Amino acid sequence: MNISLKTALKYLLLGAVLLYPLFAFSSEYVLHVMVLIMVYMVLAMGLNIVPGFCGLLDLGYVGFYGIGAYTAGLLTIHFGLSFWVIIPLAALNGAIWGVLLGAPTLRLTGDYFAIVTFGFSELVVLFLTNEIWLTRGPLGLPGIDPVIIDLTWLSTLIHPEWIWYWEFIGLRPYFYLGLIMVALVYVIMSRMEDSRLGRAWFAIREDSIAASSCGVNLLTYKVIGFAISAAIGAVGGAFLARWTMFLSPDMFKFWESFLILCMVVLGGLGNFKGSLAGAAVLIALGEILRIVLPQLGLPTETRFLAYGLIMVLMMRFKPMGFFPAIATQSQKNPILIKLKKELGSSS
Amino acid sequence: MFEQQLINGLTLGMIYALIAVGYTMVYGVIQLINFAHGEIFMLSAFLAVTFITVFGLPIYVVIFMTMGCCALIGVMLDIFAYRPLRQSPRLAALITAIGMSIFLQNLAMIIWGSRPRPFVQEALPAFLRTPALSFGEATVSWLQLTIFGTASLLMIILFLIINKTRVGTAMRALSQNRTGAALMGINVNRVISFTFALGSSMGAVAGIMVAIYYNTLYPTMGYVAGVKAFAAAVLGGIGSVPGAMIGGIILGIAEALGAGYISSLYRDGIAYAVMIAVIIFRPSGILGKSTVEKV
Amino acid sequence: MNILEIDSLTMRFGGLLALADVSFNTVKGEILGLIGPNGAGKSTMFNCISGVLKPTGGDMFFETSGRKMRINGYKPEKMTYFGVARTFQNVRLFTALTVLDNVRIGRHCRTKANFFGAVFRTRSQKEEEQKIVDDSMNWLKFVGLEKYVFYTAGGLSYGFQRKLEIARSLATEPSLLLLDEPAAGMNPKETRDLVDLIHRISDLGITVILIEHDMKLVMSICKRLVVLDHGVKIAQGGPREIRQNPKVVEAYLGRGAADA
Repeated sequence: MNISLKTALKYLLLGAVLLYPLFAFSSEYVLHVMVLIMVYMVLAMGLNIVPGFCGLLDLGYVGFYGIGAYTAGLLTIHFGLSFWVIIPLAALNGAIWGVLLGAPTLRLTGDYFAIVTFGFSELVVLFLTNEIWLTRGPLGLPGIDPVIIDLTWLSTLIHPEWIWYWEFIGLRPYFYLGLIMVALVYVIMSRMEDSRLGRAWFAIREDSIAASSCGVNLLTYKVIGFAISAAIGAVGGAFLARWTMFLSPDMFKFWESFLILCMVVLGGLGNFKGSLAGAAVLIALGEILRIVLPQLGLPTETRFLAYGLIMVLMMRFKPMGFFPAIATQSQKNPILIKLKKELGSSS
Repeated sequence: MFEQQLINGLTLGMIYALIAVGYTMVYGVIQLINFAHGEIFMLSAFLAVTFITVFGLPIYVVIFMTMGCCALIGVMLDIFAYRPLRQSPRLAALITAIGMSIFLQNLAMIIWGSRPRPFVQEALPAFLRTPALSFGEATVSWLQLTIFGTASLLMIILFLIINKTRVGTAMRALSQNRTGAALMGINVNRVISFTFALGSSMGAVAGIMVAIYYNTLYPTMGYVAGVKAFAAAVLGGIGSVPGAMIGGIILGIAEALGAGYISSLYRDGIAYAVMIAVIIFRPSGILGKSTVEKV
Repeated sequence: MNILEIDSLTMRFGGLLALADVSFNTVKGEILGLIGPNGAGKSTMFNCISGVLKPTGGDMFFETSGRKMRINGYKPEKMTYFGVARTFQNVRLFTALTVLDNVRIGRHCRTKANFFGAVFRTRSQKEEEQKIVDDSMNWLKFVGLEKYVFYTAGGLSYGFQRKLEIARSLATEPSLLLLDEPAAGMNPKETRDLVDLIHRISDLGITVILIEHDMKLVMSICKRLVVLDHGVKIAQGGPREIRQNPKVVEAYLGRGAADA
């Protein structure tokens, strides 16, 4: 056995997290926080594409999160669509809005783009608040069905008395569903990063003029990045809708964008693995502050003071985050591993 | 009805213009959207109320004291947050600006609480609430007239500083070419600090005026007003001081008329929509020049 | 046979006339020198040809896939696709990325895997990735950087950065290569290597236009030169002619020097 202690510990920890919900002592509260962390992990990875990979500040990410959530909520309530149909539809809707917003504005400098995304997310919240006929406004959207796995059509085909129908009740099923979602987004992110698409984004971030002289169409690739990022945000929102079964415009205020951006910054711009850690750390910190702050006689919103400070300090002292992304990026690519071996043997 | 909306919009627009010049001047010299500028505007309202209630000072003194304090906060913001990042990518400075904005907002929440509070009416001369002029159904209160007059006066002073003084010339030189300006013997950091001080003291006056005009102040007031003022700066052409004034006035009137005739629910949305439309269709704004990146 | 024809090209920035009515041709396969004092408009000319700037007057024609076409107003990425590659006066590399990644990005416009290929790792995508790496390695060997494949581009010495930029531009498979002061900041040894490299590029059948201040270098590798001064073409011809042209001497050394 030549597994190092470090990898062994890593798998042990992963196993403990995976099995946690099955233990009798697992608490509902901890499970809730863990599912919440997973939602934010997806959001932070998705957001990282724009500022991390393309080098553009996106201050309105929550707009896409909200679009995804309300798309899922409304489609469930009005058409009773299945979660599995809704997920791609929500992603598509997010991507469409990403293209609509990105195509005219991404040709401008990054500063303008930042402020446009901010304005967009504010408009989304205003729309959700004021278009009561559609969203019920500030009252919120209750009564969204939970996630259901309905395979009765298949089971009755096999045996008329079998009914494969499960409704997600409680936190445990969502925990595992969330885990699958995080894993899928993670795989998509790592495959995009190590591809022609990812390299084009990095080129734009590093030097856009040189990138275009290498044949990268700046606008196209920025819009693609923005749309994919938006789609991932919308998927996170769709999950949230079917998990909490209630939506209100308050859940999609600017603060959320800021929190997600802070996770990305903490984990390292351009390092989506770091975003996972950023999400976990900041949600956990938020939960701690939520308990500590009232004891100090302060409103719980003031926890954002800490987030603001984290961002300023990170930019000042660790602008690339705690884990440098560059070295790890290509380690798993078989083509490069082979190349490294060849180079090593020849010299 | 229409005339009244126009007057209200004009008053609001003058205030936006005062905040917008702060954004546009800083953008001119260091190409940074200073998101925390809206927070300075908010802090000024709270500082003014604190000076009045705690020290019992008269409003005229308080205005000058607040301007001084806010100028100091602006300068410190630059020195501690932005100056270390001058050589960093713009993204880093932009994220820092957002971080500082959130930080200051929550600091205010810790100090003064998150509930909205009224302005100290007793400190104000009573005549401000009485009508000064009226034509048809529309009236202009003394308060509106005062806001209009003060803002105009400040704009004129600002114009003179930028165009007629040495430091103003240095500011304009800096916005053309920072390295060149430094080579000509201009103390770049001092000029940038002065720009922050000037913009922040303008924002301070705007903060006090808004708090009096709406008779309310709360820690998140800087966030909405800040974005709207930024929209005004974009509308007028970012980097252009006269543009910021024109942009502010247009935006104020558009907002008042839009709220009156289209939908009051989307009052804030109008500013965002105008801003997005300007950025898409005429990113250089009304008076701005489009620039080409040097290769 | 001309690969590039510049016909009374004019570039005006506000009140400044950076290029005034400049015309010249580039013959397929040649190494053309573009020289002139600082501020003559040489880099502006490159920016126009490579699509970074849109000229305010005149025409540019470029032969791409056997067809002569007017190229005014095309974006840089389109010009790269047509077969114009360039380097920059002040090296523009993707400094935080590896040497290999820099060249791989150069392959961008000759490859086509998209989002779905990347996510599902289709067979064609995998084959393309392998080919991108192989091609990139070939170009790195060509310029002599094969030992630094996994170094960060920003960490290379200045001379190597210049070479990497050339490798990156060659990876776009150009038919015309614009080199903007490639020898600037190089020591004599590196400059000799560069001369050799430019000859080898030319041997591949790639036409080269070279901006350079090192007169010895230009005169030794260019059969033909075009001289700009204050945005105006003042001379063109072989190295010997140019060296003896009084207008050129005056432009470089000032009025009166030609008589001395």
